[in-house]
Amino acid sequence: MRTFMRRLIASACGAASLVILYACVAGGGYGDGAEVSYGADFYEPFGYEYGGWGPNYRVGPPHGGERRPEHSGGAHPHPPAYHPAAPSRSVPSIPSRPRGH
Amino acid sequence: MNFNCPPHIRIATGLLGTLLCVASTMTLAAAALVLPPIVQPPSAEHHAGKIIWVDLVTPNLATAEKFYTGLFGWSFQDLHSGSRNFAVAMLEGRPVAGIFEGSAPSSAQRQSAWLTFIAGDVAAAKRITVAHGGKVLFEPHVYAQRGRQAVFADPQGAVFAVLASSSGDPPDLLPAPGEWIWSSLITTDPGTDAAFYQTLFGYDVFDAGGDDGAEHLILSTDEYARASVNAMPEAGSRHHPHWLNFVRVRDTVQMSARASALGGRVLVEPRADRHGGKVAVVADPAGAPFGLLEWVDTQSKEATP
Repeated sequence: MRTFMRRLIASACGAASLVILYACVAGGGYGDGAEVSYGADFYEPFGYEYGGWGPNYRVGPPHGGERRPEHSGGAHPHPPAYHPAAPSRSVPSIPSRPRGH
Repeated sequence: MNFNCPPHIRIATGLLGTLLCVASTMTLAAAALVLPPIVQPPSAEHHAGKIIWVDLVTPNLATAEKFYTGLFGWSFQDLHSGSRNFAVAMLEGRPVAGIFEGSAPSSAQRQSAWLTFIAGDVAAAKRITVAHGGKVLFEPHVYAQRGRQAVFADPQGAVFAVLASSSGDPPDLLPAPGEWIWSSLITTDPGTDAAFYQTLFGYDVFDAGGDDGAEHLILSTDEYARASVNAMPEAGSRHHPHWLNFVRVRDTVQMSARASALGGRVLVEPRADRHGGKVAVVADPAGAPFGLLEWVDTQSKEATP
């Protein structure tokens, strides 16, 4: 009986040690399984340059409904790499419906 | 039931119980990070191509929380998983961003940055990105509450993420002040990059060329503008294509000054933009850039289909 208990306890201790070992290896990552550091992977290359924004450099959303510039939709010297929206369509804006309406 | 075991058996059993307890606790702590849903309560809406989430990695979570609370009034739900600290930024009870604490790698010059998540099919995005010469920076993974996501670099190097949210996508509503309202991809070749993202998300692409002669494009889905693609300014020698996200504010001048007072920096001074309101670009105390954008409630007009 005593020998059986010793073997049982030894086996259980071994299993527990394996679980602990797994926990140590797998822990802490923003992934499942491997040690993957979110921060290390997604810090971006240093060196954004914002000083070159001239007075007409525009990044914001359109009002919507504007006519597009004359050169839109096919008057480029070379066809654009993308498929432009049909010239008859005006530029859309961002959603206008406020929350709760 | 007979509990008259010999003492050494009782000691051994106790030791075994303790070991199993420790092992179970460590395993739970080591489990994959539990990312909360991005929409609460969940919705059935899906808007491919919409920017639906942003995550920040920063070296000091407490510093970031103090800055963004002071600037936008965000509150934070602090969460921990093992040794990792992160927080969900909330505005009026709605999740608006995730912030992770993590050290910058020492091997290269890197900076803290907001990561842009676009709604879409993650597997298809991986396939298309690789086929167009982009890179997979973080393989597709499923997080129970958030959904399936992966991180990529587009063919010109701008980092972005694709997320198939398991709680649905946020509804198409006008963001309130303090919420993300707009995103711009600033890149070396807008036309080629627009074609890439059009393949990924089915965008309609509108030419909104400016007076400066540079190529400015608008990406839209569901008849809503989702983002702009802008040529990188030629001035300056250190450039890297990137996504830049904007938070809606009531007064760009005032908020730029507040960002500075809270330990941030103004990268682009407030200036009038295409929509008539002012925009500015600032950086948080860790250097992560983001935009400030004024928008009046009545500004959006329905487009002609």
